Amino acid sequence: MNLAEGVQLVSFIILTVMMLGAALAVVLTPNIVYSAFLLGAVFSAMAGLYLLLNASFVAAAQILVYVGAINVLILFAIMLVNKREDFAPVKYAWTRKIVTAGVCGGLFLLLGTTIITTPWGINNTAAAGDEAIYILGEHFFTDFLLPFELVSVLLLMALIGAIVLARRDIIPDLIDVATGEDLKLPERPRELIPAGSVDADEVT
Amino acid sequence: MMKFLKQVGDYAKETVQAAKYIGQGLSVTFDHMQRRSVSVQYPYEKLIPSERYRGRIHYEFDKCIACEVCVRVCPINLPVVDWEFNKAMKKKVLKNYSIDFGVCIFCGNCVEYCPTNCLSMTEEYELSAYDRHNLNYDNVALGRLPYKLTNDPMVTPLREFAYLPKGVMDPHDLPKGAQRPGRRPEEIAEELKAETKAKEATTSKPKD
Amino acid sequence: MNSGIDLQGTFINSLQDLGLPPGISKLLWMPLPMILMVIGATVGLLVLVWLERKISAAAQQRVGPEYAGPQGSLQAAVDGLKLIFKEDIIPAKADSALFTIGPILVILPVFISYLVVPFGQNLIISDVGLGIFLWIALSSVQPIGLLMSGYASNNKYSLLGGLRAAAQSISYEIPLALAVLAVVMMSNSMSTIDIVQQQSGYGILGWNIWRQPVGFVIFWIAALAECERLPFDLPEAEEELVAGYQTEYSGMKFALFYIASYVNLLLSAIMVTVLYLGGWESPIPLDRLAGWLGQPETNPILQVITASAGILMTLFKTYLLVFLAILMRWTLPRVRIDQLLDLGWKFLLPVALVNLLVTAALKISLPFAFGG
Repeated sequence: MNLAEGVQLVSFIILTVMMLGAALAVVLTPNIVYSAFLLGAVFSAMAGLYLLLNASFVAAAQILVYVGAINVLILFAIMLVNKREDFAPVKYAWTRKIVTAGVCGGLFLLLGTTIITTPWGINNTAAAGDEAIYILGEHFFTDFLLPFELVSVLLLMALIGAIVLARRDIIPDLIDVATGEDLKLPERPRELIPAGSVDADEVT
Repeated sequence: MMKFLKQVGDYAKETVQAAKYIGQGLSVTFDHMQRRSVSVQYPYEKLIPSERYRGRIHYEFDKCIACEVCVRVCPINLPVVDWEFNKAMKKKVLKNYSIDFGVCIFCGNCVEYCPTNCLSMTEEYELSAYDRHNLNYDNVALGRLPYKLTNDPMVTPLREFAYLPKGVMDPHDLPKGAQRPGRRPEEIAEELKAETKAKEATTSKPKD
Repeated sequence: MNSGIDLQGTFINSLQDLGLPPGISKLLWMPLPMILMVIGATVGLLVLVWLERKISAAAQQRVGPEYAGPQGSLQAAVDGLKLIFKEDIIPAKADSALFTIGPILVILPVFISYLVVPFGQNLIISDVGLGIFLWIALSSVQPIGLLMSGYASNNKYSLLGGLRAAAQSISYEIPLALAVLAVVMMSNSMSTIDIVQQQSGYGILGWNIWRQPVGFVIFWIAALAECERLPFDLPEAEEELVAGYQTEYSGMKFALFYIASYVNLLLSAIMVTVLYLGGWESPIPLDRLAGWLGQPETNPILQVITASAGILMTLFKTYLLVFLAILMRWTLPRVRIDQLLDLGWKFLLPVALVNLLVTAALKISLPFAFGG
């Protein structure tokens, strides 16, 4: 075993331990903010594993998308809705934990046996490395064109849906007509300013 | 369609305008970088406050009618107007008036709204005191006139930036008779007078 | 194609000549450029802080730092020393673990990003194929650190500052990435070396700024926003949020934020240089000049001269941009948070998309000018 292989092995062990430990901690910590931060650690460790597999583009994308965007959004959601509440103790609450542990253990065993018993077609060709971007792009625009386009349409739909939900143009008026003055929402629909006549003060 | 295109065009025009303004601002800041700082040796040299300088407020007790407009327009209702209603005279009798300059922000609202012009801004800005309660000026202290800077034999009066000749940054050692750019108010008034006279002359001539 | 000085090859070869095995000699080489780059970044930071204070002073007709060293040039070092000796306070109700990890998470990605900063053909720590994408990916980690320190401080100003910083980072990352994408499309590679190579050969006329003027402006605005520089320093807006997520920090932990923000500004300026201003290329193509003078590319003296000229050119352009950033700081007023998000989502994003489309169209129609 030469130096490079040794470094790889050590990094693999460190990354695996970090990933499994962090993943377990995500589930087991009672503090939801810690869980969210640890989720970021899990994603980073996964990116490290991709890097070890010589898939640097996937690793960077993993960091950018999962750590930089999704995890930050999760944190945002948690921090903006950080409502501390003491739950009333429920009788036999411990049974829930046992049941959860049982279900999780069962799932783990099931997946583990599946992984072990499946005959994996291990590909012996070398990883693409930096060429991966070109290969990915080629696949996106040839044989995976339809799924790629479908995903983009889905994202567009989600985007438009989010804008529609966030704008709240019509809903308060409808409520106004139905219930009268007292039950108004605090938010008012914003006056639509024609884009041509906007000056710096009015842009809100 | 045309409306939409017009909107896009307007938006682009505004963007270009914003960029132009940012460029203008940057050039001003850049220009300021070449200027060197000028020291005014303070207790011996002092800058002459500008025409509309808002310094300590001057107050004339005899003019005041105790209407309390100054209190109402003050952002923090600072002036204290101590008056009593004299039933025999059916008039307010003013006993005391005070402004605390430790709290005043020198906005000049009271001066602006005073109906009898008994309040006015002076050019006095040296309000330091050993005790902050000394900054609470009563009607006697408010009635004092500030000592004129140019009459002080101990002080070399220096002109402010806006009153220096064009292109000069340093108020020290100005040549005698150096004037600020532009015309003085007297000159403008004289010119206007001459102009109206000339006009009158031309309009009255054809009649003759 | 491989012109320029090759320090790594020379170093390893000379060690092998001394009788060391190739693996060991490579291992001995590896930490050297990293240490050099960290030192370089730190010295660059000190220079930057000094410049910031001096230029700010000049813009306001003050004198600025004067006594620490000649012209106050050691002021930044003195400041750093002060911060080292300051007491490190963790507020009683703060979450001490997250409070400590936060600043580290903020500063680490910035320094790792120096991995892809090129100063010459072979003067780079590692020519990763990902290059510029690595920088974008790493800079997206920073908001987590900001959120973490904002949350852990247990202070409403900190939390709001952290949230603002994260929102700002996320929304300006998209126009930034789109602007970079247009450049990447023209050079057919994400490696910083290739991006500079594609601009080389014609001196100042070959630089990307002439082909991507819109992209340059978008990138610069977005980079300023990413660095939380004025006019986009909302997360630390003094009047509203005291000091944002830094409010509760003192001593070295505060210094980490401070260092991170300035090193990040330096990095962004270097990236603008690499992407749009031709990196280490001089305004006059040096290698052509050497060709006219009849010097071969392998002339060692010529190699040293071009390498040092490359480093100097990179630093010169970088500090020119830094100067612009400092001048902007004293010119433009701070935008409001909604104006900031408006500018990011409603102006920069569509313009960047249009820029990308136009670049793609030009690349197909004019392949000789826009990299076929």
